[in-house]
Parts: sequence; C-alpha cells; structure tokens
Amino acid sequence: MQQHHGDMAAGTLPTGLATGLATGSPSPPPGTEPLDTSDAAAPPSPRHLSSLSIAVKMLVCVVSFSLVVTLFQAAGELYVDYRRNLTAIQGHFDEIGHSSLDVIATSLWNVDVEQLQTILNGLLRLPDMQSLVVTETGDFASNLVVRAGTSSSKSILFRDYPIYLPQDGASRQIGTLRAEASLDGVYRRLTDTAVATLAGQALKTFLVTLFLLLLYHHMVGRHLSSISRWLSRYDLSDRRPALALPGKPARRRDELDGLVDSLNDMTSRLTGAYRALAEANARMEQDIVARFQAEREVVRLNEILEQRVEQRTRELEAANEELAAFAYSVSHDLRAPLRRIEGFGQILASDYSADLDDRARHFIDRMCAGAKDMADMIDSFLKLSRSTRGELTIERLDLSAMADDVVGRLREKNPGREVEVTIDPDLSVEGDRRLIGVVLENLFENAWKYTRKTSSASIRFGRGNGKERDHFAIRDNGAGFDMAHAKRLFAPFVRLHRSEDFEGTGVGLTTVQRIVARHGGRVWAEAAIGSGATFHFTCWEKGRS
Amino acid sequence: MAVNNVLLVEDNGDDVELMLHAFRKSRIANAIEVVRDGETALDYLMRRGIYANRDPEQPALVLLDLKLPGIDGLEVLRQIRSTPETKRIPVAILTTSDDEADIVRGYDLGVNSYIRKPVGFNAFTDMVEQLGLYWLVVNVTAPA
Repeated sequence: MQQHHGDMAAGTLPTGLATGLATGSPSPPPGTEPLDTSDAAAPPSPRHLSSLSIAVKMLVCVVSFSLVVTLFQAAGELYVDYRRNLTAIQGHFDEIGHSSLDVIATSLWNVDVEQLQTILNGLLRLPDMQSLVVTETGDFASNLVVRAGTSSSKSILFRDYPIYLPQDGASRQIGTLRAEASLDGVYRRLTDTAVATLAGQALKTFLVTLFLLLLYHHMVGRHLSSISRWLSRYDLSDRRPALALPGKPARRRDELDGLVDSLNDMTSRLTGAYRALAEANARMEQDIVARFQAEREVVRLNEILEQRVEQRTRELEAANEELAAFAYSVSHDLRAPLRRIEGFGQILASDYSADLDDRARHFIDRMCAGAKDMADMIDSFLKLSRSTRGELTIERLDLSAMADDVVGRLREKNPGREVEVTIDPDLSVEGDRRLIGVVLENLFENAWKYTRKTSSASIRFGRGNGKERDHFAIRDNGAGFDMAHAKRLFAPFVRLHRSEDFEGTGVGLTTVQRIVARHGGRVWAEAAIGSGATFHFTCWEKGRS
Repeated sequence: MAVNNVLLVEDNGDDVELMLHAFRKSRIANAIEVVRDGETALDYLMRRGIYANRDPEQPALVLLDLKLPGIDGLEVLRQIRSTPETKRIPVAILTTSDDEADIVRGYDLGVNSYIRKPVGFNAFTDMVEQLGLYWLVVNVTAPA
C-alpha cells in the first residue's frame, strides 16, 4: 500500500497536476515549453523540470515522513487496542470467576449436566470466548467433563478456575473450569483497525501532499519558472520590461517579490554597467579610429615632408652644383681676361715706355693695379665659397706650427716689416688642415696689415681665457676699430677701413666665421680705435659630433 | 729639325700672344707649336690628319690649358697618357683654374706639373722663364 502510494506520488501526480494547473496561468504549460521556444535562443527548459523535481523531492519527503509517522501512530494505536482487548478478555475471565463459579459448583455437585451445559453455553457468548470446559476432580472412575465451544485457535488466552463446594464451613474442590478465549477475533479487529487507519492516513497524506503541491506550484513553482524563462531570455543590450510575476497578488509581498526586486535591481545595474561599457567601447572605438586617422595623417604628412626634404635637398644640391660651377667659372673665366688686361698693360708699359709720357704710364699703372685688386677679390671670394663646401677632413692640428708657417710666409712677403710675433707653444685643435690654415692666414694677415702703421708692432697668438677647451686668441697692437661696428665685421664685403689706408676685400673675416662655424665654434673680436684688436675663436663648443 | 720644341695648347688668341711674348722675353729659343683645341693637339701628337707627315720628333713639353673647346684639357691628357707613343711626353697644365678637383684629376691622370697662371705679367714672365729653364734645359726627356 505504501509502495503504491509512493508510485503515485512520484510518477503520476505531478505531471498531471502541473499540466492541469498550468492551463490556468497565462504562461504556456511547462510541458510544451521546449516547442514554444524552439525558435528562440532560450535553452529547452531543464529549469522547469528542476522546479518539478523540487516538487517531487518535496512530495517524496512529505510522503516518507507521513508514512513513518503513520506507521508509528498505527503501531501505537494497535498496541493500545491490543492491550485494551486483552484487558477486556481478562475482565470477562474475572466476570466468570465472580458470577458463575458458585452456580457451576452447585450444578457440578448435583451432577446436573444440563444445567452446566446451559451455564457454559451462556458463558460462551462472552466476546472472544472460545471454549469452556468443566472437569470434575475426585476419585471417580470417570470424571465428568462438560464442554462448550471448541478450542480451534492456537492463539488463546485461558484461565483455570478451581471449583469449590462450600461444606461445613470449609470448601472442597470438586472440579476445575478452564475458560479459553481466542485471540483471533482480537487480531482480526486489530487488522481491520490497522487497515482503516492506514487507508485513512494514506488518503490524508495524498490530499495534503496534493494540496502542498498545488500550493507550491501556485506560490513558488510557476513564479520560479517565470523567473527562469525571463532570465533565460534576458539580453543585456535589449531593453526589456522589468521582471514581474503574472498572477501574483501584489498586496502580499513575500520572498519571491524580494527576489524579483533584487533581480530587477541587479539587471538594471547590469544593464547600466553594460551600457557604460558599451559607451566606453564606442568611445574607445572612436578614439582608435581617430588615432588611426591621425596616424595615417602623420604618415601622409611624413611622406609629404620626406618628399619636400628630398625636393629641397635636390634643389640644394642643384644650387650647390650651380655655385660650384659658378665658382669654377669665376676662377677660370673671370681671371683670364684680368690676366690679359694686366699682361698687355705690362707689355705696353715696358716695351713702349719710350713712347709714353708719365701721365700715360700712370694710367697704365692704375689699370694694372685695378686688375690686380680684382684678381685678389676673386681669390678671396673663391676662398669664402670653398670654406663652406666640401667635406671636412678632421685631424689633430698643431696650431703653433701652422701659425709659425703663416708668419714665416708673411715675413717673406714683407721683408721690410719688423713685427714682434709671439706664438704660445703646444696649441692644438682638431680640424680640417686646409680650412684652419685659411683661418690662421686671414687672422694673421689682418693683424699683420693693421699693425703696419704702429711703431713697435707686436702680435700674440695663444689660448683664450674662456671656459672652452678650444679657445684661441690673436692680439695685435694695431689700428683697432670702433666696437660699434663689431657686428658688421663678419658680414661679407664689409670693410671698416678705407682701402687707401688698409687694402682688403672684406671677405676674409666672413670666411673665418664660416670655417669656425663648421668646426662648431664662434669668432668674435674686441678692439678699440688706436689700441689694437683681439680676435677670439673657438672650436667644438658642444663637443665633437 | 726643331729640337726641344714646345706644344702650346691654348684656345684664346690673347693668351697665346701673351705666352709667346713671355717666352720671347725669357729668351727661350725653342720653337713653339701652337694648337687651338684638344682635337688638333691630339692630331699633332699622334701625327694624324694634317700632321700625318710632320717630323716624328715629339715635343719636349706640352703646355696644356684645361678649358678647351671640344675635347677638354683633362681628356687630352688622358689620351696622351693612354697612347704608347705619347705617354712619356712631359705635360704641364697651365691654367687660370685653381680648382682642387682639377688639380687632383690632373695628377691622377699623370700630369708632370700643374701651374696656375699668375695675374701679374711680370710674375708670369718669371714663371715662364723658370718653366722653360727646368723642362727644356734641366729636365731629361725619355728616349724616343
């Protein structure tokens, strides 16, 4: 019976129940859910089964528990009933002892068998009484035995009564009565009671469980299914209506409402977070796109820049080539006609001097001097042009020795001059021999030239007193110049002295400045009119690159 | 037989005149053959064209200007040096150019002397005299 009940609970009931109940709610029945959602992304509803399985588990638990309780209760009741029945039988035995022994004793004494039989038959009507036997005791050949009923049952309860006959104040046993009660009736009644009890309990349990199941489904299960469905269809990017439980009265809030609120809170927070993430993502995407564009723009600009640099370089190279060609042309083509002018002038002056008066000779002289000046100018112009072109060949230079050479050549050219020249020993610098030579030549030539009108001319070449490692200075005590014009000193073709006083082309210091600049240095001058000038130059002020 | 003659390769007539004047002044007696361009100079040295029948004696010195119409001086020098019959003839470049590249290329091609014409005519005359004295008197040429 219990087993049968369990089968019903586990197998038949919940399915039918769920299906039957689900038709009442707006949601589709759980059994058809997989079909409905076959087109949707939602997984087929194992969650609905799990909600059912909760019901099943609950059912099994309830049924098992009530089974145990029922069994105990039934056992208790049966025991009490059994005791009560036994007590009733004992009561009947007592009743027999109290009420019937005297009559039986009298009848036995009188050997009134009929009477005995009647009495015993009467007693046999007592409930559960199975047989009553009176047996005469005494020294008789055959003792009288009167019996009522048959002792058929094995489960019996009996009591033996001695039958006394009161005689002269004493009593004498004349026989015994054995009363036998059958327990079969008791057992039958108990069985009936047990069956009735169990059947009742089973029915009750069934009903209660059914009710619980209904209650569970109505209050929890269907809502859990709704929540599950809602969650399975939940999409962060989609703005869906908030979770609500259909068919749930709003006035009585319970844990499910709390759960729904929490879920709604959580999903709205999730949606917020998702939206923030999506926005951040979009911003980042824009950022990346912008960066990508910027990068492309940079690349494009770089290309343009490179093209431009290439173009400028080509232009510069072309200009340089032109300049070189120009310098070459100047060197060759401009000097050649000058040579001719000067040459024919000289021939005229020497070979035809007899035919010329002083005035004519003077003019020829001036003509030749002009040609010579122009040739000098071309030479210094070429020097300037070359000082800015061509590769530098850097080596360690002995400036003291180079200055000695320069001074030696100056003395050779001007044997009449007496100039005291002091050159400090061990002056050296890293540089291009030819160009640094040009620097020394120019500076010494200047010092030489501008001390021409000084009575005791002196030139001193040594280290400068600046912080720079390669700082040199050439000091003279010559004509000097006005410091107001110091800035113009290094501009090309600028002269601070009249050429009648001091000849020159105005290119020498410009050349010096260009060369020194190519050696990473500067050139500057300190002077005062009438008290000489000092020219400073440095090299590699920021180190050699 | 013109002994120890000089070949002057110079395109400008004025310069030729000045040069000849300077030679006269410096009392150099050698015959001076003048050609006005590189092609003619090579014809002369290699005895081609109008010079096919000239005296086989080669000049004791070639004075070569760099700026020449047609074949320029350096090319003339190259061809002189790369031809077996002419490769030992002393060649002096005599020019107004002091371009370093020209000087270097001249020496690379085997020039014997590189002389820059000075502007002053007196200096020029001195130079021509020294030149003649050295190359035509002091210097010993290779045997033919």
